Amino acid sequence: MARKKDIAISVRNLSKSFKLPTDKSWGLKQAILNTVKGIKGYTKQEVLKNVSFDVKKGEFLGIVGRNGSGKSTLLKILSQIYVPDKGDIKINGSLVPFIELGVGFNPELTGKENIYLNGAMLGFSNAEMDKMYDDIVSFAELEPFMHQKLKNYSSGMQVRLAFSIAIRARGDILILDEVLAVGDAAFQEKCNEYFRNLKGEQTVIIVTHDMENVRRFCDRAILLEGGKIIKDGKPDKVADEYLKLFN
Amino acid sequence: MNRKNRILLNELTKTDFKLRYQGSILGYLWAIIRPLLMFGILYLVFAKFLRFGDEIPRYPVYLLIGTVLWNFFTECTNQGIQSLIIRSDLMRKIAFPKWIIVLSATTTALINLAINLVVVIIFSLLAGVEFSLTWLVVPFLILELYLLSFGIALLLGSLNVKFRDVQSIWEVLIQALFYAIPIIYPLSIVAGYSNFAANLLMLNPIAQVIQDVRFCLITKETLTGWVVLENVFLKLIPLILVAVVLTVGVLVFKKKSKYFAEEI
Repeated sequence: MARKKDIAISVRNLSKSFKLPTDKSWGLKQAILNTVKGIKGYTKQEVLKNVSFDVKKGEFLGIVGRNGSGKSTLLKILSQIYVPDKGDIKINGSLVPFIELGVGFNPELTGKENIYLNGAMLGFSNAEMDKMYDDIVSFAELEPFMHQKLKNYSSGMQVRLAFSIAIRARGDILILDEVLAVGDAAFQEKCNEYFRNLKGEQTVIIVTHDMENVRRFCDRAILLEGGKIIKDGKPDKVADEYLKLFN
Repeated sequence: MNRKNRILLNELTKTDFKLRYQGSILGYLWAIIRPLLMFGILYLVFAKFLRFGDEIPRYPVYLLIGTVLWNFFTECTNQGIQSLIIRSDLMRKIAFPKWIIVLSATTTALINLAINLVVVIIFSLLAGVEFSLTWLVVPFLILELYLLSFGIALLLGSLNVKFRDVQSIWEVLIQALFYAIPIIYPLSIVAGYSNFAANLLMLNPIAQVIQDVRFCLITKETLTGWVVLENVFLKLIPLILVAVVLTVGVLVFKKKSKYFAEEI
């Protein structure tokens, strides 16, 4: 049993459901009809059922599962974007979530302006961003383009910029949703190198469908199916279990 | 407000401002030109053709400050209400206090007002208005108007997340409200017909603020709510309304904002 101060994230009995409006629930007429007939107008979908796990400090955790198994919802709850219906989450340290790369990116602003805006979204001041700026730009290899508007970037360049901010913004816990595969082969190799070096240094939680990445980077993995954890353990075992779901 | 929120407010407001006049030749100048043109039209129609306000000294600047404050109110509420929808992408991807969005949108309107007030003051001085100590009251009146707008933006903005009709209803409502406030016509005209109607109009905090600012800034001959309303309790109603709207706005927003990311 790990000691309490070594735990970065602790999740206990987490449940979450969504009310999904049916197509017969919109408009005033329908609303009145539904009330009269006693139809609820939505279906309740349980996305996470009683999920519990701990993440140790410095651990590289992979969360895998089929589409709709609740991975992204789990990440969004960890990132405090969604409120859980039931259960407890304790987070020890600062958390930098990347549910999507380039949150708040605006095509009308220059690359430089976007870096500062994105940084502000993650809670970094201008002074702090000044210190990170050169590092971000050189990692993205976009030095000549920083004063051009983002709309004139190729999509690959945009993702590279966003990704560089993501990995340069140092928080205690890094959360990444399906964002490992960006850029061309050379940039990919650079990212892989970076992740290998992160191992053991920083707490990272990634959601991915790529079992290669799970085996390569993760210390531990969790397999979600139908909103429940069905396997928690060594990356190799979990990856095999995941692949079995499709046979 | 903690450091993280301040940084975010700062960046969001800066971006808002930068983007608003993006791609226009005159750029930020539009923040001044637009209300001046609006004022020009109103002045031609109401002061020149319809000859409203002949009995009010310096009617042009009197009209100008009225339209500037009204524009602030409409901009503040409209932008505030829509801001949550405009920033829905952010809310779905990252956790932060949602009221920062509304605060940033309304702050942009406040900056525009500040620019416009400089123009108003220049015009006033040209029209022969002299500085008086009552000018110092104006910031507090503007704060009152801002708090009212912020309260409305919080309340309607959070309802608008689920029911987009709110935004359209407000746009119509605000048109009606415009005529219920002595902006283009002097209050004395209304008082001439019916004292009761004048009383009723002055219970509106927006009307109270506009008349008070005119009194403090332009001419002591402005008919203010304080003069029109005789009962002390009635005199306080505008302030009470502001407090109620703000409180309800904050409470509703607090309750609803937890689920914005899921519902939007």
